[in-house]
Amino acid sequence: MKIINSLHKFIIALVLLTAISCDSLDEINENPNGISPTNANPNFLLPAVMRQAALNINNLGYGDMAGTVQHTQKDGWFTGHNVYEWGLQDWNGWYDILRNNRFLMERAEDTGLDFHKGIALTMKSFLFGTITDLWGDAPYTMALRGDQPGLENEFPAFDSQEVIYEGVINDLKAAAQIFSKGNNSGIIAQYDLYFKGNAQRWHKFTNSLLLRYYMRLSAKKPDFAKAGIEEIFRTGVFLSAADEDVVMDYIGASMGDSWPSSTDFDAGSNYRRIKPTTTLINRMLEINDPRVPVWFKPVHNQWVEDLKLTTSIDPFIRENGVILPGRVSFSDLVYVQRIAAGNVYTRHYNPALLGRKLDTGRYVGVPAGLENPSAYNLNPTEGQQVENQHVSQLSDHYKGRSGGILKARIISASEVHFILAEAAQRGWNVGNAQTHYNNAIRFSLQTWGVGPGYEKYITRAGVAYDGSLKQIIEQKWIASWTTATESWFDYRRTGFPALVPGNSSAEPVMPIRFTYGNNEINFNSKNVGDAISRLEVTFGGGRGANNQWSKPWLIQGTGKPW
Amino acid sequence: MLGLALLLPFLAEAKSKGSSVIDEDFFQTTATIGGKITSKTDGLSLPGVTVLEKGTSNGTVTDVEGIYLLTLRGEKAVLVFSYIGFESVEITVASQSTINLIMEETSQAMNEIVITALGIGREKKSLGYSVGEVKGDAVRNVTQENAINALAGRVAGVTVNQTSGVGSSTSIVIRGATSLTSDNQPLFVIDGVPVSNSLGNMRSMGGRNEVDYGNQISDLNPDDIESISVLKGPSAAALYGTRAGNGVILVTTKKGRKGERMVVNFSSSNVFEQPVRFLDFHYGFSNGNRVGLLDERSEFWAGIPLDQGISAVQWNSPVGPDGKRIPTEMNSYRDNMKNFLEAGVTSTNSLAITGSTDKTTYKLGYTNMSHNGLIPNSDLFRHNLSFSAGFDITEKLKLSTDVNLSKSLSNDRPSTGNRGANAAESVYSWSHVNIADLRDYWLPGQEEFQQRAPSDNMDNPYFIAYGINNGFVRDRVMGNMKLDYKWSENLNSHLRMSYDTYAENRETKIPYSYTRDRRGGYHLQDINQAESNLEFLTTYKKDVGDLNLSFSAGANAMNQNFRDNYMGSREGVGLVVPGLYRISNIRQDGIAYENSSSRRAIYSVFGLASFGFKDQLYLDLTARNDWSSTLPASNRSYFYPSASLSWIANYTFNLPENISMLKFRAGLAQVGNDTSPYAIIPVMGNSNWGNLVFNTYPGNLLNSNLAPEINTSFEYGMDLNLFNNRITFEGTYFYQENRNQILNVQGPSSSGFPTRQINAGMISSRGWEIMLGGSPIQNANGLSLDVNINFTRMRTRLESLTDGMDFINLWDENNGGAQTFVGDDIGNLYSRGYLKVEDPKSPYYQWPILTATQGTWQPDNRREARVKVGNFNPDFIMGMQTVLRYKKWNLQASFDLRMGGEFQSFTYRFGGSNWKSELQMNDLIPGGLYTDAELVALLKSDPGKYIIPKNGNFPRVGGYTEATGGLPNPLGTGINYDGVFIPGVIQIAPGEYREHLGGAGTFVRPASTQFPWSYNQQVTFDASFLKLRELSIGYDLPNIKGISSTNVSIFSRNIILWTAANIGIDPERAFQINGNRQGDTANVFRQGIELQNVLPWTIPFGFKLNMTF
Repeated sequence: MKIINSLHKFIIALVLLTAISCDSLDEINENPNGISPTNANPNFLLPAVMRQAALNINNLGYGDMAGTVQHTQKDGWFTGHNVYEWGLQDWNGWYDILRNNRFLMERAEDTGLDFHKGIALTMKSFLFGTITDLWGDAPYTMALRGDQPGLENEFPAFDSQEVIYEGVINDLKAAAQIFSKGNNSGIIAQYDLYFKGNAQRWHKFTNSLLLRYYMRLSAKKPDFAKAGIEEIFRTGVFLSAADEDVVMDYIGASMGDSWPSSTDFDAGSNYRRIKPTTTLINRMLEINDPRVPVWFKPVHNQWVEDLKLTTSIDPFIRENGVILPGRVSFSDLVYVQRIAAGNVYTRHYNPALLGRKLDTGRYVGVPAGLENPSAYNLNPTEGQQVENQHVSQLSDHYKGRSGGILKARIISASEVHFILAEAAQRGWNVGNAQTHYNNAIRFSLQTWGVGPGYEKYITRAGVAYDGSLKQIIEQKWIASWTTATESWFDYRRTGFPALVPGNSSAEPVMPIRFTYGNNEINFNSKNVGDAISRLEVTFGGGRGANNQWSKPWLIQGTGKPW
Repeated sequence: MLGLALLLPFLAEAKSKGSSVIDEDFFQTTATIGGKITSKTDGLSLPGVTVLEKGTSNGTVTDVEGIYLLTLRGEKAVLVFSYIGFESVEITVASQSTINLIMEETSQAMNEIVITALGIGREKKSLGYSVGEVKGDAVRNVTQENAINALAGRVAGVTVNQTSGVGSSTSIVIRGATSLTSDNQPLFVIDGVPVSNSLGNMRSMGGRNEVDYGNQISDLNPDDIESISVLKGPSAAALYGTRAGNGVILVTTKKGRKGERMVVNFSSSNVFEQPVRFLDFHYGFSNGNRVGLLDERSEFWAGIPLDQGISAVQWNSPVGPDGKRIPTEMNSYRDNMKNFLEAGVTSTNSLAITGSTDKTTYKLGYTNMSHNGLIPNSDLFRHNLSFSAGFDITEKLKLSTDVNLSKSLSNDRPSTGNRGANAAESVYSWSHVNIADLRDYWLPGQEEFQQRAPSDNMDNPYFIAYGINNGFVRDRVMGNMKLDYKWSENLNSHLRMSYDTYAENRETKIPYSYTRDRRGGYHLQDINQAESNLEFLTTYKKDVGDLNLSFSAGANAMNQNFRDNYMGSREGVGLVVPGLYRISNIRQDGIAYENSSSRRAIYSVFGLASFGFKDQLYLDLTARNDWSSTLPASNRSYFYPSASLSWIANYTFNLPENISMLKFRAGLAQVGNDTSPYAIIPVMGNSNWGNLVFNTYPGNLLNSNLAPEINTSFEYGMDLNLFNNRITFEGTYFYQENRNQILNVQGPSSSGFPTRQINAGMISSRGWEIMLGGSPIQNANGLSLDVNINFTRMRTRLESLTDGMDFINLWDENNGGAQTFVGDDIGNLYSRGYLKVEDPKSPYYQWPILTATQGTWQPDNRREARVKVGNFNPDFIMGMQTVLRYKKWNLQASFDLRMGGEFQSFTYRFGGSNWKSELQMNDLIPGGLYTDAELVALLKSDPGKYIIPKNGNFPRVGGYTEATGGLPNPLGTGINYDGVFIPGVIQIAPGEYREHLGGAGTFVRPASTQFPWSYNQQVTFDASFLKLRELSIGYDLPNIKGISSTNVSIFSRNIILWTAANIGIDPERAFQINGNRQGDTANVFRQGIELQNVLPWTIPFGFKLNMTF
C-alpha cells in the first residue's frame, strides 16, 4: 500500500509538472528567430535595397549585357553572352528588391522619416525603370500588392511602358523635392551604402536619373523629354565630377561580396572565359585610347608574320625568338611568371601558305558571335576551359576581389554629360554640345585613372568632337565599360554604335529586349499574355511573340535600331 | 526519472529471489514430470517450448529434441505449454509422470493479433481496415542496416526508396503522396513513443558538398524488432491525430515474456558488397573535345582515340634527359570505378538477454554495427543499448519501461551532389588516366596545400574521398515509462510518459585546393531535437450477452523542441593556415554563423468505442480533438472522427467448409493536420554585407488565418481464406481526399511574393491493394512452401487549387520538370518545347523546325509548348515473398516489381553532353555510310524513328569517325569526319519548309557540340524494374551442448534483375533529396529525377549466425 500511496503522489506530481510546462499555445508559436516587421527600423532596411540593386546592375553590365553590346565575348559557356540565347528571363530578383523597398517606404512613412522616403522613391524609380527598360510592359501600379486580398493583387496586370516611365519620372521628382531640403534626419550613415546619408548627393543622383529617363523617352515624347532635360539643367544639380559617380564598393571578404570574376573563389574560370571583343578593342586601338591597358592585357604570345617560314605556322612557340620544341603553350600562371621575368613569346606564321591573315596585334580581341570562339586566332589549346595565348584577357584588376576600379557602378558623371551633349546636339537649350562631350570623356578617363591622358586624347582624330550624334554615342559606349546595360538602351534608341550580330546568332539582327520569364508565364499567364500581345513581332517569330527581337512600346514606330 | 526506471527491475529481481528461497523452505519437492513435444504440422520435435507450472515461477524449456524435464512444486500442478506461433495448452498433471504433447500451430488468419493504434492489440479479424504486418522473424535471415528497408516489397500500398548506398536516407510512403509540401513520411511509433524521422537530413557545407546524413529512423536497431504494423489509412491511424495523415508505422521491440527463463541471444552478421554494373561510359576517347586533341582540362571524352597505340604528352609523362616530357601511350582505364571502390563491409553483432521472474520481465540488448563504405574512407558506426522491463508492483499496478540509447557516427559520409565533392562522379573525370596513378593525392612537398590531379579544374577522387571529411555523431535517447492500473476486471488505465531526443553534431573539413573551395573550409553544425508525450488512457470492457463492449478515453500532451546552430567559413574564404580545422583559423570577416530554434505543442483528447457482436460483427468508433500551437487561435482546435465495420460472414451463413473465412470490411475516417511552427506571422530575415547586418522582408507570404488540412478517406475490403487458410486473399479499395492543403505555392514575383501559403485545393488519391497468400506445399515430411503476393495500383490527382492558379510546380529543371495542372495526375513530367511542324496535313508533321543559321533545334519556351514526357508514378507495383522450408532448411526470396512510369536521368544529361555515354554515340544514325539519296530515303522511311524526337533520343545523323558514319565536317581543323547534323526542316516562309536531311545546305557540326542539352526528353527513360530484394538460405544447426538453438543463414539483397531503361541507373534512386530549392513546391525531395547517383549496382553477400543459450 505504501508503494501505491507514493505512486499516487508521483502521478499527481507528474500531472502538475505537465500542467506547468504547458505554456500557452500562443506563446509557443511566437517566433524567436527574427524581429517583427512592425518593429523594423527603416535604416536596417536600406542595405537590402541598395546592395542588391547595385549587385544586379553590375552583374548585367559586366555580364551578358557586355557581350550584347560587344564589349566582351566569352569563350566557354558563351551562348547567352555572345549570341543572346537567353531563354526565358525571370525578374524575380528585381521584384524581390522592390518588395523590400515597398516595405522601406511604408516604414519611412510610419516613422515620419522623409529622407528615407526620398531614398525609397529614388530606388523604386531606378528599379522599375530598369525592369521596363529590359522587359517592356510590366506590372507597376498593381505590383507588390500580393499581401492585399483580391485576385487583382495576387495576379497583377501589366502596365504599358508609357505608364511606368511616367511614374518613374514623377517619383524621381518627388524624391528630388525631398532631398532639396537637405534634411537627412534619422539616417544612420553606415546603412546608406552609396552616400553615407549625404542629402545633396542623393539629390544629384535623383536628378541624374531624371536626365537618363527623359532622354530615354526622346523619340516617343520629344517635347516632354526636352522640357524635362532643360529644367534639370537649369537647376545645375546633377553629377558633375568623376568622384560623384554613384558606385558601391565591394567588401572582398567572400564570394558573395566580391567582384564577380574574382579568381580567389573559382580558380579563375569566370575570369578566364571573358575576352575583349574586336568591335571594342580594335576601335579603341585605332584611336589610341588610354583606357586599353586599364581594362585589357596584352596577349601572352603574339603572332609574327614571316614570309620566309616554310610551314604555314610554327608548330611550337618561341621564347625570345627561339623555338621551344614540343611546347605549344604554357598555362596562364607560367606565362605570367615568365613574361614578368622579361621573356617574350611569339609564334611565326606565313600568311601566303596559311591562306589567311591572323591577328598579330599586342592586344587581340575575339570577333562577336563566333561559332567556336575558343578556337579564335589559331588557338592551339582549344577547349572550353583553356586560356587562349593568342587572345587578350582582361587586365589583372579583374582578378581581384574589391577596391581600385572594382566597383558596382550605377550612374556616372560621364554618362550625365553624354546625355547633356546629346541634348545640346539635338538643339535643346542645355549649353554647348562639345563642352559636355569633352567633359564626359574627361570624367570617364578620370574614373579609370588615366585623367592625365585627356588633353592628348581629346584632340585625336576620331575623338575630337565632330558634331555628330554617332560620335557621342560611340564614346558613351566606350565609357559604359562594365555598365553596358545603359549602352544597350542607347543602341536601341539611336542605332549606334552600328552593332552587327555574329554568325551564330539565331537572327540576323541584335536583340532588343528580355523575354518574359517562366515565373510570370506559369503563374500570371493571362496578364503576361496581354502584354505579349502588345509586342511588335519582328524576327524570331517562330518562338512566339515573347522573344528577344520583338519591339516594346518604347521603340515601336521609331524605326530604331533596325 | 529514467535512472529510477533502470533501477526498479533489479530491485524487483532481488526481492523475488529472496522470496523463492522462502518458497523452497516451505514446499517439499513432490514429483518430476517429463515428455516430448512435437509439432502437429510436420511431426518434428519442438525445441524451446516453455513449460511452466501454473501460478509459480517454476518452469523449463524443451531441448533440441523437444524433451523437457521439470521438478514440480505444487501438489495439484497444472502445466502450461507455450511456444510462439502455436496454441498454448494447459494440462493438469494429476498422477501422470510423462506428458507427451502434439502442439498445434496457431490458426494464423483467425486469431492473429495485430498491434493497432495506441499499442492496442486486436484480433485481426475484428478490424474494419487494412493493416500491414511484418514479423521480426520474416526478416531474421537478412541483416538490414536501416530497418525500413526490410519493408520494401512486403506490404501492399507501401513504397520504399533508398536514395543511395548504406547510410543514406530511405523514404517510405504509404498509399502514395497525399501532401504536396511535406515529405509524406509516416509517423513512427516505437513501443508507444512517437519518434522523429524526416527526409530532409541533408546539408551542403562548403561548395557543392551535399551530404545525406541519413534519416533518423536508422537509429532504430533492426535486431530489436519483434514486429512492425503498418497502419495505412486514416481509419487505422485516426487515433494518432495530426501526424498520422501519412499513416503510422508501429514498431514493437522484443521484450522478456512472463514465465520465460533467462535466454541469451547472440547474433552476428557480415555483409560484403561488390560492384557489378557500371554506367555505360565508352572509354573510347581521351579527354579533349575534338578527335586528336588531348585536353586533360576538358570534361569531354572526345579527344584522342584510346588503345590505338597513339602516344601523347600526358599529365604524368616522364621527363627525359633533355628536360622534355616523353609522350606515353594513350590507353583506356575501364576498370577505374571497380578499382577505386573498396569492398563494402558491414558487420553487426548483437547480444540480448531476456528473461523473467514471477513479478518482472526484462530484456537487455546491445548491438553494434560497423560499416566500411564502397567509397574509400567512408564509414558508418552504430551502437544501440536497449533495455526494457516490466514489473508487477502489486497485482493491479504494473510498471513497464523501454529505453533505447543509440549512438550513430561517421568519420566521413560521402557527398552525393552534382559536379562537386562527389568522389564517385569524379572517378569518371578522365578516361585515359589510370586511377592507381591518382592514389597519392597530394603534390609532393605540398601536402594539405595542393592536390595532385591531371588538371587543376577537376578533383582527384582520392582527394575527395580522403581529403574532404563529413563527419557526424548523433546521440539519441528514446524511452518511455508506463504505469498500468487495473481497477477491476473491466476497467484499466495507463499513464505513459515518453521522450525522444537526439543531438547531432556535424563537422566538415575541406582541404585547400578543392576546386569548388580553393582555400578549403571548415563547418560545424549542431542540431538538437526533443519530443515528449504524456499520455493517459482508460479502458472499460464488458461483455453483455452476445455483445462485447469496449470503451476507451484518453488525453495526450506533446511538446517538441528544435535547435540548429551553425558556424563555418563563408564560400571562398576558407582557412588561414592549410590543414588546421578550427573556427579560429577562419578570417574573422569570413565566418558565417546562424542559429534558430522552434517549439511546437499539440494537446489532445480522444476516445474509442468498440462493439463486437457474436464474434462476427465488429464496429469501431473513434474521435479525437487536437489543439495545435502552430495554428491561429481561432482554428487551433479541430475534431475528427472515424468509423469502421468488420463482418465475418462465414460465421453468419453456412458456407462450404472450404471457405475458412469470408470477411467484409469498411472504414471511414477523417484526420486533421496542422503546419510547421511559426507559419502564420512573418518575421524579418537577416542578411549581411560585410560586417553590416541588415533586415530583409520575407518573400513568402504567410497566411494568418490558416485552418487545418483535412484528410477524408474511406476504404472497403474483402478477406477470403480457403482450404483451412492455406489460401488467403485480401483486397482493399481506398479513396482519400486531402482538402485545405497548407501549400506553399508559387505566384508571380511581380506581386511581391513569389511564394505564398495557401490553404485550399484538393488532392485525391485512390487505389487498389491486393494481397494473395498461399501454402501450396505442406507435407508431412517437412516440406512446405509459402507464397505471398501483393499488388498495388494508385493514382493521385490534383482536383483543385486556389482561385487564379491552374498549375503547380513540384520541381523545375531546365524549363521542364514535374508539374501538374488542375485535373491532372500528380507526377507528370515535362520537357522544354521545341519548334516543330504543327500542321497535321504537312508531310513534315511533327518534324523539328531547325534554325536557319545553324540547323539546330529551336527552343519554344511557351508554357503550352512544353512536351509531356511521362509521369514519375508507376502504373502498378508488385511484391512477392516465398519461403520454402524443408526440415531444418529454409529458403526465402522476396521480389519487387515496378511497372510503368518514367524518370529523368541528369547523369545522362551531363554524361551525354560531355560525350562520355556510349548510349548517345550508339544513337547516332551513321549517315556517312550512305549516299545522300540513300540517306534521305532512309530518314524519310520512318520519321518517327529517324527524325522526330522521342523519349531517350533526339535523332542526329553522323558519327565521330569516318568508320562510324561521321560526315565530313567543314569546321574541322585537320580531322574531318566527326560531323553530325540534325534531321528536320528549315522554315523558308510561314508554312513552307525545306528538308534538312543531308546533302547541300545541310549544317554539319562537330558531333561533340550536337547534344540536345536543353531538352529533358533526351534523358527521359522508362522506370520499370524487377528486383530481387532478398534471397536467403537458413539452416537450424543440430544440437550443440549448452546451446538451445543455432541458426545460420547466407543472404543477398537488392539485386537488380531487370530495368527497362537498361542504362546502369537504378530507377528507384531517381529521387533527389534537396535542401530548399528556389521554385520548387515540394522542396524536400524531388521524385523522378536522378542526378549523379553513379555508384555502381552491387550484389551484397551476407552471412549471419544466430545463437540462443
